[in-house]
Amino acid sequence: MYSRAMPREFPACSGCGLCRLVCPMWRDHRDPRFSPEGLAKALQSGATALELAAPLAACSLCGACDPVCPEGIDLSGMIMDLRSRLPRRAELAALQAKLAQAAASAKAPAAGALLLPGADLRANPSLLARARTLLGLRSADDDGADIALALETGGDIDPARRRQLLGRLDGRSLVVGDGLLLAALRRWLPAARLHSLGEALSNLVAIRRRLASADFYVIEARAYHADYERLVVHYDRLRADTGCALNLDLQRIAIPALTRSLTRKSAPLGDEDVTQVRWMLKGLAPRRIVVESLADRAAFERACDIPVLHLAELAEDSMMKKETPHACG
Amino acid sequence: MKIPLVEPGTIGPCPVAPDALQGITRQQTNPARWNGAGWQDFVAALRAADVELVESVVACGVYATDAGGTAYGMPHGVVIARDAGQVSRLLKTAQACRVPVTVRGGGLTTEGESVAFGGVLLDMSGMSRVLTIDANALTVRTEAGIYWHSLAEELRRENLDYLSAPLNLTSSVGGTLGVGGIDVNSARLGCSADQAVSLQVVTPTGEIVECSDTENSELFQRVILGYGQFGVITEATLRIRPYTPLAMHYYYYSSLRAAIEDLQMLDRNDASDYSGILTIMDCAVNLLVAFDSDEREAAFRKHWESRLRGHGEFGFALCMLGHYAVRPWKLGEALYLLQRKQAVFPEFRRPEYLRAGKMHDRSVVFSRAVWKHWGSRQMVIPDLATSADKFIAAVERGNAICRKYFRHYTLYCVGIKLRPEHKPHYEMSCIPPDADGWAYGCEFEPMIEGEVYSRDHFQAFKNAIYDIGVDLGASYYRFGGMMKGYIRRVFGDAVVDRHLALKRRADPAMILNRDVIF
Ligand SMILES: Cc1cc2nc3c(=O)[nH]c(=O)nc-3n(C[C@H](O)[C@H](O)[C@H](O)COP(=O)(O)OP(=O)(O)OC[C@H]3O[C@@H](n4cnc5c(N)ncnc54)[C@H](O)[C@@H]3O)c2cc1C
Ligand code: SF4
Ligand code: SF4
Repeated sequence: MYSRAMPREFPACSGCGLCRLVCPMWRDHRDPRFSPEGLAKALQSGATALELAAPLAACSLCGACDPVCPEGIDLSGMIMDLRSRLPRRAELAALQAKLAQAAASAKAPAAGALLLPGADLRANPSLLARARTLLGLRSADDDGADIALALETGGDIDPARRRQLLGRLDGRSLVVGDGLLLAALRRWLPAARLHSLGEALSNLVAIRRRLASADFYVIEARAYHADYERLVVHYDRLRADTGCALNLDLQRIAIPALTRSLTRKSAPLGDEDVTQVRWMLKGLAPRRIVVESLADRAAFERACDIPVLHLAELAEDSMMKKETPHACG
Repeated sequence: MKIPLVEPGTIGPCPVAPDALQGITRQQTNPARWNGAGWQDFVAALRAADVELVESVVACGVYATDAGGTAYGMPHGVVIARDAGQVSRLLKTAQACRVPVTVRGGGLTTEGESVAFGGVLLDMSGMSRVLTIDANALTVRTEAGIYWHSLAEELRRENLDYLSAPLNLTSSVGGTLGVGGIDVNSARLGCSADQAVSLQVVTPTGEIVECSDTENSELFQRVILGYGQFGVITEATLRIRPYTPLAMHYYYYSSLRAAIEDLQMLDRNDASDYSGILTIMDCAVNLLVAFDSDEREAAFRKHWESRLRGHGEFGFALCMLGHYAVRPWKLGEALYLLQRKQAVFPEFRRPEYLRAGKMHDRSVVFSRAVWKHWGSRQMVIPDLATSADKFIAAVERGNAICRKYFRHYTLYCVGIKLRPEHKPHYEMSCIPPDADGWAYGCEFEPMIEGEVYSRDHFQAFKNAIYDIGVDLGASYYRFGGMMKGYIRRVFGDAVVDRHLALKRRADPAMILNRDVIF
């Protein structure tokens, strides 16, 4: 019997197709080659990573396929592994090297819980400051941005650099903004207390009480799927407590707002993103959209004129000073 | 089963069950594999007709087997269905070049009916969009390659639901309308095929035809429950209903016979909205009863519940305790029961699917449990469909066969309400000819439990179950479990020859889903 701690590999795929139901890449293409099932079956037939380059690039690594696979195959892990076998764009390698260099010269953090904001939140200093205050956490100068990029784009991770990051984080309570890095840290630091930014903020009373039934709450897909069994309960409670609608499908899998893949990452938001957002909002008429991830905010702002807020923006300004160390600490 | 690790780029162990003779390189399992005559001319003609065909192993490998995992076959090429016009051009060209076309929806067949042994594999999942929802008339028009679950996702946005569908998220509408489709509400609402109002069909010669009970009714009668012989279903209009969560009740029996009698009593009296039987072992039987409304539930409690002979969970646990206390040599059996209960029961009570005591999204709950606890690379689920009065005999005989071949197995039994006005659809289908009012289906599902069984073992098991059907004059509740070799034995030469003549007229080159029935 498999377990999530011992995920299986593509030879175990039975072709049940459950992963297709939740896969935004499949929804976009409606072609089985662009699905986790298609990838696993092609590999069973002897396909190489190069032959699968198009779907590998189209996958958004949302991780929705992982919790639904009844065979317990680590599908997003399989895709990341295959990506690492493909030739890599030079500018990505250069960017990773630059981030690694900055991380190497960062100061080692003082003892205690830490926030690893991730690239998007770091690029928005006022929101980062707000999140930090709400959570009562310091943010780490080295938040593993180079490693997060490598995970996403199939880059090599230098073992020494990985050791350095883990050495800085081991034994702490961490709130992690980047969903892919969070999933990796779960494997690498099994003893650490890890929470996604969304979970940590949505645990705060100051935020919970500002959520209402007219809100559409958008869970960040990668972090959610990486810790599905636990978080499905957390968000079910959030829904019951606040009455807000969630971006969960009938299987309680998070529908990602962004279907952005590796190939389209730096391109402007396209029609497929608008289609995705419209699908998310179909049948709903929310007063506000509340997002956990800044990347999702851009997608909603492009596709609709409903006000979009980041979770950290929900708390009243007066609360910013009062909030004591957060519930996950 | 320990599945060895494989490096990408190398061919791993064959995903289908091994042959009894080990060490022989995998061959396609259908001896009548199409030999590829004229393939290149066909490919050229298809390209000229602007139909995209993919021939790479990356594309074809997806279809090497079906959910059954005992058939193995590779198409020469794959076409992803995009619209009726494209399907029409494909079939016209295939008819002219005499190239077989195998249609695949969800690929949940278990006898290789959706596996292409050469020729073209037409994957309908490319046509999987909902076209219109009419909330007033309570109908939906959808492309037929859509999975029932994707349809449910769309309907739920308008607080609507389909009527009945297989408890299996990835079966498609088109594939199901052709074979039956049984749900735990089929005892009340009939099979999924009964829910079709009208269809768009591309005939084997490439005509695009709209059909219903009133328009081109002969084609409609043959395509519904017609196993894909008389056309490709490209669009369907289906009846739908308002969505309701369910109030579920479970009753536990140590006698299968008593459970079946109670199931049939409930069905006859229209006492519940959903009913079905799921066994863990012959002596641990679960009768599931559920309701769409509080009123129906209250009426059941008042009039029918006291007549059921099953126990609640606690009462049944006490019974079992007493049973095994005086049979200590059956400790292994008791432990299996306990372990199974602990693994499976929580699956049906996951808090995220329960609100105010009601189960939401039952098909998700059931289907995920089915794949998680019964699914594997081999799913061998032969089934029998009989009239109500022959059902207990069929189940008891089938059970005896299961015991002979496997250590553990599960039975799933359900009623199917028949619609007298649909009699023409039912001829030569999963509905047994002598059934009146209701037919009853039972599927026999061995637990593979990591064991490796040869295809011959599975085949012998299936034959033994199907033999019961022949003997009893029964049918098979879906052809997901019926083999071509049994068709004549079950339905007789006269009926099969009549249908064969119709097929020859509709499909002169016999290209569409050949070797499935005829
Ligand atoms: C785990 C499991 C659980 C199941 N549970 C149930 C259940 O609860 N109830 C039930 O009734 N069945 C059940 N089944 C059987 C299966 O779901 C049905 O046979 C199903 O309806 C088939 O749908 P599909 O889309 O997978 O069809 P496929 O397997 O793809 O095809 C079935 C047949 O129809 C043809 N076909 C497919 N699409 C079309 C089309 N658009 N036009 C014309 N012909 C077409 C194919 O060539 C094939 O001959 C189960 C099967 C499995 C493996
Ligand atoms: S990670 Fe997301 S996009 Fe990629 S295959 Fe899985 S479900 Fe599809
Ligand atoms: S969910 Fe898992 S077993 Fe099922 S098709 Fe996808 S990869 Fe294969």
